[in-house]
Amino acid sequence: MAMAALRREGRRLLLSPVSYNSPVAARSAILSDELGPMGARSVSTQAVRNRMKSVKNIQKITKAMKMVAASKLRAVQVRTENSRGIWQPFTALLGDNPSVDVKKNVIVAITSDKGLCGGINSTSVKVSKALYKLTSGPEKETKYVVLGEKGKVQLVRDSKNSIEMNITELQKNPLNYTQVSVLADDILKNMEYDALRIIYNKFQSVVSFLPTVSTILSPETVEKESEAGGKLGSLDFYEIEGGDTKAEVLQNLAEFQFSCVLFNAVLENACSELGARMSAMDSSSRNAGEMLDRLTLTYNRTRQASITTELIEIISGASALTG
Amino acid sequence: MASMAAAVPFWRAAGMTYITYSNICASLVRGCLKEPYRSEAAAREKVHFAVSKWANGKPEKSSIRSDSHAE
Repeated sequence: MAMAALRREGRRLLLSPVSYNSPVAARSAILSDELGPMGARSVSTQAVRNRMKSVKNIQKITKAMKMVAASKLRAVQVRTENSRGIWQPFTALLGDNPSVDVKKNVIVAITSDKGLCGGINSTSVKVSKALYKLTSGPEKETKYVVLGEKGKVQLVRDSKNSIEMNITELQKNPLNYTQVSVLADDILKNMEYDALRIIYNKFQSVVSFLPTVSTILSPETVEKESEAGGKLGSLDFYEIEGGDTKAEVLQNLAEFQFSCVLFNAVLENACSELGARMSAMDSSSRNAGEMLDRLTLTYNRTRQASITTELIEIISGASALTG
Repeated sequence: MASMAAAVPFWRAAGMTYITYSNICASLVRGCLKEPYRSEAAAREKVHFAVSKWANGKPEKSSIRSDSHAE
């Protein structure tokens, strides 16, 4: 009973902003609860001390996680920046058409498998859902391919009938192009699409991640769009060597483009995940530190109050004897 | 070359996509390397992920693609 009341008191002290007007009232409240039915007095300090120990452990763990994420980030960041050059020729050749209007859309949402990485997975899922709404309509069909556990968990809540494939355990081995290209191959073989939209968090810097959509058109759509002119329309100016026809080349290009863009997207998302985890663990350590400070204050106050009470009792007892 | 106006290259006729074709070529090139570089390159070829297709809002059993080369 006393313990429960004390815990409530303690929590109220911890949750409220540190205000030095109320400690007197709070202290007397703790004191009155502190004297349990037997007059036992050490209950409160023990509870606070336990809490302090667990908060300190949590702080150590989150600090360690931040260090791990920082060291992994350094390596992946180099690879990500190098991989940006792999899709640039495609955009130079074929342009970027995010607003293309096609019948069959496939949304590839890239999320992480592990948690504790801040809000990046939620933003990816939010963008996916918005894109789904944008691309749905009469005679149109939109499907999801979800990479990563976290995205699946969020999307399964309200869009589970539109999920076509789900891929997990992607980061068991360090990311490499072969793995991503096998994955791209799997997706291409199993999905019918006119346009593929890949959603990922682009890594701008350690603290800023931009949700991005990359669009890849199927060869048939490219044909259709080239009639509208623009970059795709000027494809006919190119001379094709070898024995391939333009349709052949476009088919190869579309597949290769998907593989390259997916590789870059997966790397960028991994980078963003590590950066987000770093900042999440950093703010968590900071919060744990503040919590520890407040708990230390409470602990000292309680300890001093109990010492004062004992002194008062002894002195009053002694004066009662002599006087 | 002495090929007829082949409508389709041999690998596409066999059911491969361009990605599969280039992966096979890449692993052949990796196999031509000499020893210290060969094992480094082999590490870049590892594939592992778990795929599960969904039907009617329910996932079917997931299958793990874990081979060292796409085939």
